[in-house]
Amino acid sequence: MSGEMIGLVGMLVLLVLLVLRFPVALSMFAVGFVGIWVLRDLNSAMSLMASESFTLASSAELVVVPLFILMGNVASVTGMSASLYDAAYAIIGRLRGGLASATVLGCAGFAALSGSSVASALTMGKVSMSQMDRFNYDNRLSTGVVAAGGTLGILIPPSTGFVIYAILTQQSIGRLFLAGVLPGLLMLAMFIATISIMCWIWPHFGPKGPKTTMGEKAQKLISALPVLLVVILTIGGIYTGIFSPTEASAVGAGLVILIASLQGKLTFRRFWEAAKDSVVTTATVMLILIAAHMINPFLALTHIPALVGDFLAGLDVGPIAILALILLTYLVLGCFLEGFAMLVLTMPIYFPVIMQLGLDPIWFGVLVVLTLEMGLISPPVGVNVFIVKSVARDVPLARIFAGVTPFWFAMLATLILLVAFPQIVLILPDTMMQ
Amino acid sequence: MLGTLRKIADGLIGLSAFVGTLGLVFVTGVVLVDVIGRTFVSPLAGAQDYTQMGMVIIVFGGMALCDKLGGHVSVDIFERSFPPRFNHVLDVLAAILGAAIFVGIAYTVYDSSKLSQMLGLATNIVALPKWYFQWALSVMALITALGMILRAVELTLTGWDARAEKEIRE
Amino acid sequence: EELSFAHFAAPTHTLTGSVIEPLNEGVSADTDGELTVRAYPGGELGKGPLEQYVRVVQGVADIVWGLPGYTSSQFQKTMIAEMPGVIPDGEPGYPGIWAAMDEIKSEFPATKPLAVWTSEPNIFIMKDVEVRTPADLEGLKMRVAGSTSASMIEALGATPVQMPAGEIYNALQTGLIDGVVTGASAVTDFKLSEVANSYTVGAPLGRLTFYVVMNQSRYDGLSDEMKAAIDAHSGESLSQSAEEAWNRVAEETIAGLEADSSKTVITLSDEEAAAFGELTSPVTQATVDEIGGQAALEAMQAAYE
Ligand code: NA
Ligand code: NA
Repeated sequence: MSGEMIGLVGMLVLLVLLVLRFPVALSMFAVGFVGIWVLRDLNSAMSLMASESFTLASSAELVVVPLFILMGNVASVTGMSASLYDAAYAIIGRLRGGLASATVLGCAGFAALSGSSVASALTMGKVSMSQMDRFNYDNRLSTGVVAAGGTLGILIPPSTGFVIYAILTQQSIGRLFLAGVLPGLLMLAMFIATISIMCWIWPHFGPKGPKTTMGEKAQKLISALPVLLVVILTIGGIYTGIFSPTEASAVGAGLVILIASLQGKLTFRRFWEAAKDSVVTTATVMLILIAAHMINPFLALTHIPALVGDFLAGLDVGPIAILALILLTYLVLGCFLEGFAMLVLTMPIYFPVIMQLGLDPIWFGVLVVLTLEMGLISPPVGVNVFIVKSVARDVPLARIFAGVTPFWFAMLATLILLVAFPQIVLILPDTMMQ
Repeated sequence: MLGTLRKIADGLIGLSAFVGTLGLVFVTGVVLVDVIGRTFVSPLAGAQDYTQMGMVIIVFGGMALCDKLGGHVSVDIFERSFPPRFNHVLDVLAAILGAAIFVGIAYTVYDSSKLSQMLGLATNIVALPKWYFQWALSVMALITALGMILRAVELTLTGWDARAEKEIRE
Repeated sequence: EELSFAHFAAPTHTLTGSVIEPLNEGVSADTDGELTVRAYPGGELGKGPLEQYVRVVQGVADIVWGLPGYTSSQFQKTMIAEMPGVIPDGEPGYPGIWAAMDEIKSEFPATKPLAVWTSEPNIFIMKDVEVRTPADLEGLKMRVAGSTSASMIEALGATPVQMPAGEIYNALQTGLIDGVVTGASAVTDFKLSEVANSYTVGAPLGRLTFYVVMNQSRYDGLSDEMKAAIDAHSGESLSQSAEEAWNRVAEETIAGLEADSSKTVITLSDEEAAAFGELTSPVTQATVDEIGGQAALEAMQAAYE
């Protein structure tokens, strides 16, 4: 059997395992391991099992995962998230789905602080989901919003996705960061429009709140000040160079712990429970990331990405058709693979094609990153959806996927707009950097 | 017999999670001390070294408890369309697959630790030996595997699923 | 037969043209295409540069590229070539390393070194600070990779800060660090020219080392003809090809920076450079003594006499 065939069989087996309810991480682990064994040898498969587990688990960058979860957990158990949502409810609760829109705004704010969509979905999930529950929001809307809103994390700078793309393709990181800003805001607007449409069709998704007076609004806002202070200090610290976005996770957690302790809301026991819960959620998330990195070498060894690239390069159609085909392959691959793994696997093949066609590499980078983000919320392997599931354990996965579907279409619409109007991407980098 | 085993397993799972939680508290402290130190006096030498190795303890420390609480995400879309007996068999198989993978992780990481010893691998600034943390990872992966094997046995013999018994939380 | 060559850089990286392609073309030509080398870039065969050596020993890849500096505990003697003042100014580093191969070979167990070389000399890559004397560094935050470079930065009066390479860009941009000490090629690799505006060339700050090694038992299992082909196209000649390419990139980078009116390039005079050398050379000697590397140091330096 050829490598390509083995690759296809592997993906099929993965699908079957997932349908048969085997845990996602274990399924990816098993397929990656056996695939490498078949394509290379048992020794390599075993060696990768050890090195990927240890490398991912000892990654200094990924420390944001446990630390942001800790921040979210402490904010939840001490009622800080509640005060934030009380304020949001008092201010825009009158609007149908207002809290969901506030959550997307929160996701965008968090995106300015974190370069990863996993961290965004995790933290916002911890902070917001139970709160939207409290105001009787449908859990399809609340989980869908967080899973989709989290993807803003790598469109709005700083962004790990753009850094990887820039290094793989020798493009400017600064230009890519600038290029991501308007598309990020456009997507934010599309998400809010989606929420409004959903709540207009199904009013029970985000029920209207009671009328509030200015006094009530002000009072709620004041009690939310400590949380807002944490957010401002954390974002401010990053942009003034006091700490890095990675370290911001510890600073955020530390500030939340400090403020809650000063307010007398955090006992040691509560803190310990919150920390233990963070460790458990970290295990879920990290095992998925480790397993995704077992699939990556497997797919590299099948040479499927190279085959697809050669095929596309040989096609005799217009540049936009090829671009569409490339983005389509990302959508399909994105159903199975983790986003960054896909970038590394495919960029060496696609990028020369794009340059040959004379397409703008910065524009292409934004389109690719956006498409990868769609993969994060598309079944069967939607990492962001799994992340949200790991925080909202009681909500069936089918409901989360259902809730996220309208947002997937909103992202598709954004993508089409960006293809049709490259200016949206290019105007900022072109005017602000030669 | 099963009851005793369960008690031992739960004790180990709890201990592993305890160590993982300690790791999280430690790493939070390390990063904070480093940031504050860098701003005012001098940064903590080897902060990144401690963070990296602390992460290993955090990530694998919580693994067993995560599994016991049913925290590993699976695609539950078709659960209701399967007959109960079939679901039961799938649960047993998933536990066996998980145990096999975690035994595999424990074994291969332990095997790799011998190479680390031979090469003398340690972190760059404060030279924390890599193999200590590989051993810790191995032990924690074994505890995870133990929990999964026990669940497979319990599911087969008594039909009882440890994951149903959620911890009481505040 | 195909040898897999795993690395973690982009396919367009200098490594491809200066090491992988010559090696592949050389061995394929000598064996009539019986033996080829295929690259797996970007960490396709496993994430992260730290495990490269383990990967080749365990056979995940047949050949790997790596930096001793990422796992410095393993390569203490090899990394003597990185230290300030060891390789004479303006000389290539690979002859020194290969001359000391008997002394350092024990740091490459279970593999056959195909190429070991040094980068261009390290320079100061700074944001908003012009460095002409050690006093200019007083109290600044500088990114370091290992313990020797940390001691060197401390000796110069600055504060060493540890961070992953991928975060340097952001850290320079926000002012979290004031600068980095590394080779000029990193300016291209990590796009630092977008955020750093002042560069100081000529101070004795050492260099980086690199290795390309092959799994020993994989090599032993090849036919005599194939072994001969590999021998003919590796070793000092391959190291030279790599080092020259690295230097070329560095020269182009510095020329580009000099041509750019928004960047300052400061080239130190011998006297100015000596002021830095007085502070950095003791670090070299102290480290060599600490690791018992006197014999390796002498073997390296003998190559230039
Ligand atoms: Na971001
Ligand atoms: Na997906």
